[in-house]
Amino acid sequence: MAKEKKKNLPIQKVGLNRRGFIDRGFRFSIGFALAGLVGVLAKKSFSKEYVWQLDPEKCIQCGRCATECIMTPSAVKCFHVYDKCGYCDLCGGYFRPEAKKLTTAAENQLCPTSAIERRFIEEPFFEYHIIEELCNGCGKCVKGCGAFGNGSLQLQVNHRLCDNCNECAIARVCPADAFERVPADKAYKFSGITKDEEKES
Amino acid sequence: MIKKNFIGFLLTLIIFISISSFVWWFTYNPVKDLTASVPGLDNRPPRDESNEIVNIGERFDEYSTLSSNLTGKWTRFRGADYDNINKENIPLIDNWGDGPKIEWTVDLGEGHAAPVIYNGKVYILDYNELRKRDALRCFSLKTGEELWRRSYNVHVKRNHGMSRTVPAINEKYILTIGPRCHVMCTDPNNGDLLWGIDLVKEYNTEIPFWYTGQCPMIDGDLAILAPGGTSLIIAVDLATGKVVWETLNPDNWQMSHSSIMPMTLNGKKMYVYAAVGGICGISAEGDDRGKILWKTIDFSPTVVAPSPLILDNGNIFMTAGYGAGAILFNVAENNGAYSVKVIQKYIPKDGIGSEQQTPLLFNGRMFAILPKDAGGMRNQFVCCDPNDGKNILWTSGKEDRFGLGPYAIADGKFFILNDDGTLTIAKASTERFIFLDKAKIIDGMDAWGPLAFADGYLIMRDSKTMVCLNIMKD
Repeated sequence: MAKEKKKNLPIQKVGLNRRGFIDRGFRFSIGFALAGLVGVLAKKSFSKEYVWQLDPEKCIQCGRCATECIMTPSAVKCFHVYDKCGYCDLCGGYFRPEAKKLTTAAENQLCPTSAIERRFIEEPFFEYHIIEELCNGCGKCVKGCGAFGNGSLQLQVNHRLCDNCNECAIARVCPADAFERVPADKAYKFSGITKDEEKES
Repeated sequence: MIKKNFIGFLLTLIIFISISSFVWWFTYNPVKDLTASVPGLDNRPPRDESNEIVNIGERFDEYSTLSSNLTGKWTRFRGADYDNINKENIPLIDNWGDGPKIEWTVDLGEGHAAPVIYNGKVYILDYNELRKRDALRCFSLKTGEELWRRSYNVHVKRNHGMSRTVPAINEKYILTIGPRCHVMCTDPNNGDLLWGIDLVKEYNTEIPFWYTGQCPMIDGDLAILAPGGTSLIIAVDLATGKVVWETLNPDNWQMSHSSIMPMTLNGKKMYVYAAVGGICGISAEGDDRGKILWKTIDFSPTVVAPSPLILDNGNIFMTAGYGAGAILFNVAENNGAYSVKVIQKYIPKDGIGSEQQTPLLFNGRMFAILPKDAGGMRNQFVCCDPNDGKNILWTSGKEDRFGLGPYAIADGKFFILNDDGTLTIAKASTERFIFLDKAKIIDGMDAWGPLAFADGYLIMRDSKTMVCLNIMKD
């Protein structure tokens, strides 16, 4: 009976009742949210974010990376490009030039924080591994490696540690102008290796 | 009563806290997380002195014979006069014209060994990587055809190259030192083996980093060698292989990559050797031959590759890489007693120096390519007064930088080889760097082996290929 009554009600030409408004509101909200999500994903996929990185070809290992970074210790660390390394017994990046014996004794090491681990492979080859927690980015080993070896030790901003400041404190004082903005998807800039090798490393 | 109990409780608490604090302070180790950097952390095992039996010169292979009318000679490291200057009267090219005239190329084992040239034949101590043999190879200078090789099995691992020495030759003998200190004396005419010495076994020599770099010396009928180990210098009869005299090594100096250089001071002939440990002068003649006349430890880097440069009036210039810099010192003689006085000693960025090659002395000036740690002038070809290495007179400039490759003088021109196989010709001027021309000869790397000149030909190499260039002027 009630059903019939309702059926026979005259159609009122009003704008929108409450139920319809809420219903339409939800639909629009979901639509906007989906569009926003797609937009954000598209932006993430197609637009480029930039991060700070230093160019090893320009770096002069002045030591400012260790002292000027807002992070303590610095977010700049030494990285080892193993493809370039000669695995030398006498490593210019590990040993002080005046070292009399090639042993791991502290007085023979160039690194002030003992952040390089030397591992025997087979006579006469050794592998050098950077202990990230100990490295302060001073670049002494990089200088030694570049001067006497193949240049396989290189300074880089470690992006797991870097705050990516709008204005990098090191970039402001870098005398070699070695700091630059690079795309976040190519955040590291190693010298002397191919793009494929860089991707792998 | 409550107050008394409270005071007692408070006192007990204070005593407890004090004792706890003391115990904590006493037992706390603020450096427990630190690791002492002591020898042995790299897990290097004790050195395993190889028991490999090496029969020096055991194999001989003959491929061809040659009679040549060429008479040119480049008889040892830095040539006959130890100065790296070719004195033949043959006009040589000023530029590469239509390109370098490459007469022949030969594949070699990886290394930096360089040849000597004698009467149309080229001799080089190569390492055969496939067969694992040191091989003295003899080629025709004109055609590059291999005539014979005298070899022996010895295991050498790749370590920035394997071979790195230059033989010494005269009419009757050719003398070589292999990467692992095996000395071999051979007849250069037919390749017959005369004798051999294993310096590691006989003299307890410690093989230098990256293997032997010392080039042997022939002085008359004697082979002059610096084993380090139990004897600093030995003289061996070339005909028999018997040791004629030897100099003991009281300071336990070690063999370096440097080669022995002759010097005459106030009529006294001596051998100058820069060992790992110090530099010394050894009497070369008379009743006291083999005696240490003078020595100095004022310059004793861990790695020494260049050889002493003998200047006038008892002055000696010595340089080395790896941050060592250079030293200029004077040796004076007074009634048979010798003294050493340091004139200059400086780090790489303060003056002329070299990492691998021995500087050149020409027309009263000294020339060298500065090492990578020489600051703004790094890798530049520079000139200075030999008695004042700190005062660089001129450089090749920022545009003309070179590497660790060799340089020599022939027909009034510098021939400077870059690491990548580019050969530059410059006028041998003492006034300024006068570039003439350059050409890429080999598309290679580590072209560090010394140059050899004879009969208008220049022989050069990179790490794996030896090339003979015709550099005669048309």
